[in-house]
Amino acid sequence: MPAERPESRSPRPRRLTGKAIAPYLFILPNLIVFTAFTIIPAGYMFNMSLFDSRNGREFEPVGLGNFTEIATDGEFGRILWQTAVFTIFFVVSTVFFSTLFAVLLNDQFRGRTFFRAVLFLPSLLSAVVIGLIWGWMFERSNGLVNVLAGNLGLPEIPWLVNENLALGVVIFVGLWMHTGFYTLIVLAGLQGIDPNVYEAARVDGANSLQRFFRITWPLLRPTTLVVLILSTISGFQSFDFIWTLTGGGPVGSTTLIVQYIYEKGFSTPSRYGLAAAGGVVLFFIVFVLTMANFLYGRRKEAA
Amino acid sequence: MNKIRNVAVALTCVGVLTMAACTPGEKSSTQTTNNDPRSGPQELTYLYFTDGPDEQATRDLIAQYEKEKNVKVNLEIVPFSNLEQTLQARLSGGNAPDVARLSALTNFKTDLLDLNTYQKAALDGKFNEGFDKATKGANGERLAVPSDLTINGPFINVDQFKKAGVEPPTKDKPWKSWQEMVDAANKVKVANKTEYAVAVDVSGHRFSTMLSQYGTNLIGADGKSVGLDEARATQMISDFARWNSDGTMPKDLVLQAGSKYKAANEIFLAQQVPVYLSGNWQVAAFDKNAKFGWQAVPNPCQARCGGYPGGKFMAGFKKAKNPALAAEFVAWMNSAQAQKQMDAGANFLPTRKDLVDTTIDFKVRKDDMEVFKNEIKNTPEDTYGGAYAPAFTNAAKAFVSEMSNVLAGKQQPAEAATKIKTATEKAIKDAG
Repeated sequence: MPAERPESRSPRPRRLTGKAIAPYLFILPNLIVFTAFTIIPAGYMFNMSLFDSRNGREFEPVGLGNFTEIATDGEFGRILWQTAVFTIFFVVSTVFFSTLFAVLLNDQFRGRTFFRAVLFLPSLLSAVVIGLIWGWMFERSNGLVNVLAGNLGLPEIPWLVNENLALGVVIFVGLWMHTGFYTLIVLAGLQGIDPNVYEAARVDGANSLQRFFRITWPLLRPTTLVVLILSTISGFQSFDFIWTLTGGGPVGSTTLIVQYIYEKGFSTPSRYGLAAAGGVVLFFIVFVLTMANFLYGRRKEAA
Repeated sequence: MNKIRNVAVALTCVGVLTMAACTPGEKSSTQTTNNDPRSGPQELTYLYFTDGPDEQATRDLIAQYEKEKNVKVNLEIVPFSNLEQTLQARLSGGNAPDVARLSALTNFKTDLLDLNTYQKAALDGKFNEGFDKATKGANGERLAVPSDLTINGPFINVDQFKKAGVEPPTKDKPWKSWQEMVDAANKVKVANKTEYAVAVDVSGHRFSTMLSQYGTNLIGADGKSVGLDEARATQMISDFARWNSDGTMPKDLVLQAGSKYKAANEIFLAQQVPVYLSGNWQVAAFDKNAKFGWQAVPNPCQARCGGYPGGKFMAGFKKAKNPALAAEFVAWMNSAQAQKQMDAGANFLPTRKDLVDTTIDFKVRKDDMEVFKNEIKNTPEDTYGGAYAPAFTNAAKAFVSEMSNVLAGKQQPAEAATKIKTATEKAIKDAG
């Protein structure tokens, strides 16, 4: 009589042993904090988006009124477009520069640790302070950037006065602030690649470009996916440094979606319901994009 | 294990849906009526934000009140930027202060005590009528007291005016038009090689000063209708844009402000502009920080003279532990004697009608404060209704935004005036 194959057995329900429960107990403290400060407020935000309030304490149900107002409000559409433009440039530049810097800093050379530290330093600074400092540096008259440009014989550039230039400055400062962090992630990914693979490629005569595009880039895909997802979320959530750098100006050209939410919620007269509706829209945009990135990345990996 | 996960997800969903089924917030407060301040707790909490020298003056007055009435007052100071959020959080959490200093009443109207229930004789008819209108509720109840008045007006760099040989304006000989002021300022600019001639804070409130001088307001005197005359507004915006384009005014200041308030005091303190339009709250600050000769001067006239009003309120809360005591404290702090002492120590302008013509011994820069005090009488009555209207904040935001669009070359002044009018209509409608 042939032995019964294990996979043909009907699956037995697993007992709730201490070993099975242990992982959940380990994450429980974090889960409690996460539930209290993220899940519950998020649920409350969904709820609040269906109400309107003139004082932040007494709410009237308005159904989908806040969403209708957002959809028909030209201001929100413009801000959404600006957020998309900012995020696309921010994400593409972040992936490009963090990969570039990670590859450069992965090589053995004198002072490598120093340069890694320098690159990571902006991530440790307060976003508010970063906005203020770059704001002073990009001032048209007497700003450091224009003083340096003047020394090179260049005319004064209206960095924070011209709409397109201001958006460019905001993308640059966002990149400056975050690249160190993402470089660190890519660096960790690079160090996970087996050096023997490079050695074999060298033996086969592959040059450095071929090694990058045929080995590094494909093997970095899971890490790049993480950078892509995190930077997309970060791009859509950008606010603090922009608020102190440009205040969303000139003429609203650097106002992004979180500033819209902040202004509706926290400037007088408050519109908490409208701010919550903006938050819900932002949640769905980030959720859909993150899922799309994730699923696309997984499919690529599987292929 | 999948079962546990499914249960957790289901519980989360049920939780979120349950929460979604509930109305957020709370029911409005009701007012208790015990008219005797001496019955009930003899302790008060006063939520306050300070502009500087007023803190000590407030503490001194509180000490006198405590001694006179044998009451304990806890002064709780919060930053102005956190006032609204702090107060809303405290009201939501059932921890309302008894009394607060407020910059706007709109978001708290349903929480405020009707002071007339307790102190009608001490308060009614005693304050600047235009300002006092803003303290009234829908049914005529008194929700607050105008506790200090601000008036917008210009400052000049006296040293630079002297060097240029330009006479500053006086009470009897004010600048007769904005053009006259700009011409004088430009002469001073050239003589002193300053960057600009005139600077104005980037604020709908400060822009409203110029608008009022051009003969119109965003909101009408009743606080409930649009007051904007498009032709006059177009003229004002055209002149403002022209002076920003020719370097008389700092155009970058407006464009770089975004949607934030941006003061031009740093340019004035750096002596890069000889004329700066702001308000009387700068007097104490300049006394401390300006390293040159300066003075306040009367507002320029155009179609009409005067500045633009602002100010703060003092209010009690329905949820006060002893509402009668809260009302008594508000009335006492705003009695003629107390307000006179407060104004002198804090460099505030009086809100009481009986103090406008009396001499106040301002502690800092008495002559400059007198200039602003004189401007109270010159300020048109209709400005008060608009300045304290619930819709003013949103209308003023639109005003700044459309002015920025003109300076950026994205629209013409007439188009901006029309858009400001439309935005003001919407602001009034939204304010209810």
